[in-house]
Amino acid sequence: MKKSIQEETGQTDRLAKGSTSRRRLLKGLFAALLAGDTMVNSLFCHAENGLSSPVRTNILRPPGAVPEEIFPAKCIRCGRCVEVCPYEAIVPRDIRNGIYAGTPLIDVTKIPCYLCMKCVEVCPTGTLSRISQTETRMGLAVIDKHSCVTWNQELALCRTCYNVCPFKEKAIKLDQLRPVVIEEYCTGCGLCTHGCPITRKDGNKAINIEPIYAFKPVKW
Amino acid sequence: MTIMPSNSPVKTHYNHLRLLCLSLAFCLLLIVPFLNKYLHFSFIQGWFQSLSIGHLWFVSPLEGIESILTSKKLYGPLLIGMLGPVLLASLLGRVFCSWICPISFLSEITDRCIRLFSRKRYRKQHSPMPKSMLWFALLGEIVLTLIIGAPIFVFLSPPGLVGREIMMATLFHTLALEGMIIVAVFLLHLASRRFFCRYLCPLGALLGIIGIKRRLLVVKDAETCIQCGLCQRACPLGLDPAINETLSPYCWNCGECIDSCKVKALRFTWKGPCQSAPISGLQDITHQSQKMHLGTGEKAQL
Repeated sequence: MKKSIQEETGQTDRLAKGSTSRRRLLKGLFAALLAGDTMVNSLFCHAENGLSSPVRTNILRPPGAVPEEIFPAKCIRCGRCVEVCPYEAIVPRDIRNGIYAGTPLIDVTKIPCYLCMKCVEVCPTGTLSRISQTETRMGLAVIDKHSCVTWNQELALCRTCYNVCPFKEKAIKLDQLRPVVIEEYCTGCGLCTHGCPITRKDGNKAINIEPIYAFKPVKW
Repeated sequence: MTIMPSNSPVKTHYNHLRLLCLSLAFCLLLIVPFLNKYLHFSFIQGWFQSLSIGHLWFVSPLEGIESILTSKKLYGPLLIGMLGPVLLASLLGRVFCSWICPISFLSEITDRCIRLFSRKRYRKQHSPMPKSMLWFALLGEIVLTLIIGAPIFVFLSPPGLVGREIMMATLFHTLALEGMIIVAVFLLHLASRRFFCRYLCPLGALLGIIGIKRRLLVVKDAETCIQCGLCQRACPLGLDPAINETLSPYCWNCGECIDSCKVKALRFTWKGPCQSAPISGLQDITHQSQKMHLGTGEKAQL
């Protein structure tokens, strides 16, 4: 009887030992996971987690791009759109953008798209579909009426955005000498943003391109 | 099987030919971004992920397959672009790896430099892993691609990365961070000959699979072969032509073994379409390997 009790206690001891060692193992594994996670996070510091799209205000995809949901899957990062762009507007991103590494982007505040449509001709995967200038929808120009000198001051008569727009009188019109964007015709090429003389504190201009078409849902 | 006459007067030096081909391919990678940037010459464009010569487009099959798998959409030009490389691989096997790939070029150059400084003709063969690792690399890569939902090899493939880094350096005077992978592959090559090509390259694995029934084969003449083991030491993939491993899907038809053979027992052979594959049964291979192991001792001095 005594013996059996002793045996039992021994067994429970062993069980307890087993569970503690298992706990230690799990703890170790968890710590390793955390360490790996922080490492990956620090590596992908550019994007929030390497899985979110780098497309945002004034940072756009080249013309004819498929929606962001499918873009990293379809693009094979061959860089031919980057090579063909005569203005060097298209720049590929590096590994810090996670799964978006190597995908082409246009920062219109640096170099805008001049709509030469060479990139859509060379894309081998159909990630940039073959469209014409007028069909291009890289985004929509939005005027910040608080920053725009023509809108917030009565006297200033800047109309640079109107002057540089390739679809003048269609995409941008002047309403009592103040620029107004017509959504129907704006291609989002960013020439107006690049030309705008006003730079806000956050680095954006008084007229910015919002990539409103890039986040359309995709029918799989 | 057609067998060319063994006593051909001029011996082809495949090593020189291959080095020339690799250098030309590498020069293409170097020159094309310059032409694109400074002369706006876009007749030739891209690198080995997608190369265009005029209206002739080539797309690397692995990248194309990954793109199709993850986006679940077929695109005509992509399929047509993949046709060329697939055809090449199905006829000639993994020749892209040995005759064109820029990683192969860099490895060959290092091997030649090492040969200059060390007295040994060939580097020591290590085989830290089984050769079948290559297939698992391809499988793992495709599974990972499907899990993540973005093609991985397209931005992490060393052959493509060399092209991208050259392009980045030319166009933007900077280098992308992922170029470290090339350095890693290079260091692995220094530690163990062609480590990445032998065990880890998914593109090589895919081309190998496509080329299982290839027409161009390195074939051994069993009567002339003296089992000296030189070809085994020469092979960059660590295969042994003496036991007909050149007929396996791993062989990339580089011709290194043919050049190394002193008795001209090995040669390239074009297998006709209706003839059956000359792969002899497994027992034959094992039998011959036993024979070879018996014979290596005396004949190694050759």
